[in-house]
Amino acid sequence: MARAKTRRAKQKTKLDPITLAVLHKRFDAVTTKMANTLLRTGRSGVLNLARDFSTSVVTRECELLTGAESLPIHHLSGADLMARSMMDLHPNLKRGDAYLHNSPYHGCSHPADHTILVPVIDKRGEHQFTVWVKAHQADCGCSQPTTYMGHARDVYEEGALIFPPTKVQENYEDNEDFINFCRMRIRVPEQWYGDYLAMIGAARIGEREVLAMGDEYGWETLHDFSKEWFDYSEKLMISAIRKLLTGEATTHSTHDPVPGTPEEGIPITVHVRIDNKKAAIEVDLRDNPDAMPCGLNLSEACARTGAMIGVFNSIDDIVPTNAGSFRRINVLIRDGSVAGGGKHPTSMSVATTNLADRVTSPVQRAFSKIQDGIGLAECGPIFPASMGVISGFDPRNNNEPFVNHLFLMVTGGAGAGKTDAWLTILHAGNAGMCFVDSIELDELHFPIYIKTRRLMPDTEGAGRTIGAPSGYCEYGPVGGGDLEVVYVSDGAINASKGTLGGLNGAACKNFLMRADGTLENLPACADIILKPGENVASYCTGGGGYGPPHERPVEKVREDVEEKWITRERAWKVYGVAVDDAGQVDMARTKRRRKRLGGG
Amino acid sequence: MRFAVDTGGTFTDLVLEDNRGRLHMFKAPTTPQDPVEGILAAIESAAVALSTSTEDLLAQGELFIHGTTHATNAIVTGGTAKTAFLTTKGHPDILVLREGGRMEPFNFLVPFPKPYIPRALTYEVPERMGADGGVYEPLDEAGVLGIIEELKEKEVEAVAVSLLWSTVNPAHEIGVGRLLKKHLKGVPYTLSHVLNPILREYRRASSTCIDASLKPLMSRYIGGLQERLKAAGFGGRLLMLTSKGGVMDAGELAEAPIHSVGSGPSMAPIAGRHFSRADARAATAIVADTGGTTYDVSLVRRGEIPMSPETWLGQRYRGHILGFPSVDVKSIGAGGGSIAWVDEGGLLHVGPQSAGAEPGPACYGRGGARPTLTDASLVLGHIDPDYFLGGAMTLKPAEAEKAITRDVGEPLGLSLQEAASAILRLATENMVGAIEEITIHQGIDPRGAVLIGGGGAAGLNSVAIAKRLGCQGLVIPEVGAALSAAGAMMSDLHADYRSMFFTVTDRFDFKGANATLRTLGDRCRAFIKGPGKGAVESATEFYVEARYKHQIWEIDLGLPINRFRSKKDVERTRAAFDEVHEEVFAFRDPSSEVEFVGWRAVARCKLRKGRFGRLVREAIHETTLPKRREAYFAGKGLVNARVAAFDSMKAGEAMRGPAIIESPFTTVVIDPGARAERTRSGSLFITL
Repeated sequence: MARAKTRRAKQKTKLDPITLAVLHKRFDAVTTKMANTLLRTGRSGVLNLARDFSTSVVTRECELLTGAESLPIHHLSGADLMARSMMDLHPNLKRGDAYLHNSPYHGCSHPADHTILVPVIDKRGEHQFTVWVKAHQADCGCSQPTTYMGHARDVYEEGALIFPPTKVQENYEDNEDFINFCRMRIRVPEQWYGDYLAMIGAARIGEREVLAMGDEYGWETLHDFSKEWFDYSEKLMISAIRKLLTGEATTHSTHDPVPGTPEEGIPITVHVRIDNKKAAIEVDLRDNPDAMPCGLNLSEACARTGAMIGVFNSIDDIVPTNAGSFRRINVLIRDGSVAGGGKHPTSMSVATTNLADRVTSPVQRAFSKIQDGIGLAECGPIFPASMGVISGFDPRNNNEPFVNHLFLMVTGGAGAGKTDAWLTILHAGNAGMCFVDSIELDELHFPIYIKTRRLMPDTEGAGRTIGAPSGYCEYGPVGGGDLEVVYVSDGAINASKGTLGGLNGAACKNFLMRADGTLENLPACADIILKPGENVASYCTGGGGYGPPHERPVEKVREDVEEKWITRERAWKVYGVAVDDAGQVDMARTKRRRKRLGGG
Repeated sequence: MRFAVDTGGTFTDLVLEDNRGRLHMFKAPTTPQDPVEGILAAIESAAVALSTSTEDLLAQGELFIHGTTHATNAIVTGGTAKTAFLTTKGHPDILVLREGGRMEPFNFLVPFPKPYIPRALTYEVPERMGADGGVYEPLDEAGVLGIIEELKEKEVEAVAVSLLWSTVNPAHEIGVGRLLKKHLKGVPYTLSHVLNPILREYRRASSTCIDASLKPLMSRYIGGLQERLKAAGFGGRLLMLTSKGGVMDAGELAEAPIHSVGSGPSMAPIAGRHFSRADARAATAIVADTGGTTYDVSLVRRGEIPMSPETWLGQRYRGHILGFPSVDVKSIGAGGGSIAWVDEGGLLHVGPQSAGAEPGPACYGRGGARPTLTDASLVLGHIDPDYFLGGAMTLKPAEAEKAITRDVGEPLGLSLQEAASAILRLATENMVGAIEEITIHQGIDPRGAVLIGGGGAAGLNSVAIAKRLGCQGLVIPEVGAALSAAGAMMSDLHADYRSMFFTVTDRFDFKGANATLRTLGDRCRAFIKGPGKGAVESATEFYVEARYKHQIWEIDLGLPINRFRSKKDVERTRAAFDEVHEEVFAFRDPSSEVEFVGWRAVARCKLRKGRFGRLVREAIHETTLPKRREAYFAGKGLVNARVAAFDSMKAGEAMRGPAIIESPFTTVVIDPGARAERTRSGSLFITL
């Protein structure tokens, strides 16, 4: 912190407030434009249906400048690490270069997140900024048709192609060797190549925009802007932290067991300290087990980001997320730990989701413990089979191979300090930024039939503000072929926790439904092949509730009954609200019941 | 004689074209409880100005073109009908889940949006079609009758039916429709495959529900308007504006009222296109409409009105999707009423909050305490406190000064004029940002473009905006203050038909594609012969929605042909697609096949010929203005600016900034260095 202060004291304000605001918008617009290009031109469903990608601009000092509209888990920490590793491995950056980076050992989130980094080089050949585009691939060459190898012992069993910053374009031309190599090792290569083109296109658009800004304003002005923008962001961060109480809390969250973990799963512990006077927040992740022989280990980027998401979810949302506001957050990681300390060849295949959420959720819950009205309960863990990776051959289409990550049904939003859950949060690190699949689009593009997709009554995380209910989904193959489904599901045993008296969210359940309708339990981590007539039946997790349910406003409970989110029985038992046959509230009975529930 | 009336949030604008082709412009306050009253008041003021009676005036009317925010307002204020949503069994939460998506990932103060139709009024119809149009589960009519009984019990006022894959096989929707007609008499309903046969169930269901929910209300409104206009003496044809930038017969709009939603801003680009051709001959025109609260911008390129495939009511992901392409107009919260404020980090913001019409800017003296853009312009001397809206309202400079000093000047350590100037500059930047989003961010250079400034508040900073963007020039039309009504006067009668048919370049189905085009063409012909009868000129245009294989989002491609005769036609269409793709997204992929998904045909019937006339100088607007006024300009300080009346400037007459050009409807600020010239069409053309 002292360092930040002296730097600020030395530096005089050079830019007027208007130019500051204008340049901020221009940089944000660069990332938005890159994102739009990728959404509209991507080939795999995970890009163009689900929007599982991010775009960002990093300074020449490798500090995150902006990542507007990006998925939080993709970019808060890691943008810096990735740009730095590109510069370390390639000290002579040239105009026209592009680098592919997906190595969690060099700052990337996980191997499925292919990232194209383009250094923005000025006319004199000097490196000024770096733009990057990160997109979750439909396939990244793993040993099984999924990008989430939860049970992989190490990176070798995982099988994903790992690219430490690798030059894939020089002088704006593809390195054909690289393309040929990927075509041999990534499933449905045309789809992969189409996505690669879309990513390069998006990154080049970002480059073009930043170069134009350099011409218009001069590079030094842009660097002055970065410095001032960081200072401004830090100021807002200080002001946001000063609104919180000083305090600390320790919270826990446990990932369900999968092959390679102890029987009790992976217990995560976080210590959160808020220092109102120093305007600093510390998240200590050191008190966690060693890395494990499975694919759930967190990369450093995901461990840091997971903690930071919990922080930003809990503070004033006007604080920009960049290197300036980050000065006030300190995340502590222990070398060798499952929470960000693992080293090659530890597998980090699933680092962005499962265990990362088990870091974010207790952090935001710790904030609620320090101060009621702040933070959130736990978000629902993922991935249920309704978000599995499906693959096979399409009998309706000359048996063409297909592979794709479904985003059919996930809710998972947590009750927040002041509002009910954002229903389709997907998972903590995603923040609801991804899209949910259209039934018709999935049925058109893949040989599947989605019989049911509905939200389930009486499954919400009850509370003063409620967590999202569970959703049910049932699908299987059509056209006569088989359908392979792979997923890594957390939250069957350890449901999302409520906070401050709020109840837990719904647990997830996955079944194989035989042709005759009988149900068989499926394990947390599965690779199954559905025969014609068979279906997967999957209940996703819900989010935890915030505060005691009997403190939920009576009118809201009445509405919940009217809207069939909950039954009258649940309204009475859990929320202490008596709703009569006509849907009206009996206030006298409600008062008595609520008094009893409150222990008074 | 033709009437064009645009009922806005604050004012009802009337543009009247008399039998000699001359234009007249009038404004009356909008009357939200009974909008027809405001319309009749505007007509009445026209009658007064033209020294005739309302009845005589209306009796001469051959066309009455009307745009209204009635439907949009009903949705925003929850005034729509009690509507039931009938969906496929197993899929009740289509309107709840939507398509996911969120903005502001760390904002946990905005609640998840409620479905457009409550879950309590959602019913699952026992049936299921497959993607191939096959019946997976037959329609259970007894089940539907059971639902109808519940609808009766709940006294539902409208019904929306949107079943999965009804676009491929509509049999089940038709079956449900038949039962509704027979057993739920008098209750209007909408079937999704009739209204909007598109892929993606949420979008289709959303349009169907919005449409059904507007039917009772819009039938009443249109019926009432027709009757009262008739009673007042009008015997001509009543046309209504649509969000696609055209007009429809009022009776037809009542059958599909969703087309009225968002129709207000859709007319500005039509007028903008006209003036860009008449006054500037630029290939690209940026059309901006500045109101009190919103700033609407659109881009007209090579004379084409821009269309957006996605239209949201309210904010993206937080509102409801319309499911129809509409004229692509980007709206931001910026306008004369935008509030200026300084945040905790010391950063100045202007908007998106607005002081609205009530209480209005501080200088209105109606209790508004916060400083706005209008206040800043007043403090800078750009607005004359005694000649605001032609003197209809006297402003209070002291209130504006107080608010600006307190909320902006003191926190930022700026003098009053510096603070006001900063507000103006930032408002300008916000507006520039909106324009950049539709230009630079789409790879279009605004430097070759001309800016068309419409709306009552356009004159305050359009010169600054055009300069900041490096535009070729700025056009302020003489009817600019009623740009939408002027656009309505120029718009065409149109009908839009869509059909889904999937085929790919490498195994192109000539028969299927041609049959689809033929059916669409037939429907257009029928329209042209029916409602389009008597049009000056008619045309049918064909479009296809295409994409590279495995892409999901299509590009709308104008088809140069109406039939695929040979492989060459497929190749030509494909080449056109490659070109558009590269133009929009910076790359093409010649190695990939191209998929054709949706087909569309548009019938357009021109309703007018000849030139668009000039605005008549009404005797009742005669006034004398001071010759000069003190005004503050950034970088120059306080200067003695020339003042001129818009309507007294002659064609070819020029004026150099710093200057202020006043009209009874707007004030145009000409910055130092800029030069304004009156054109032959009556506009001001300003070079920078």
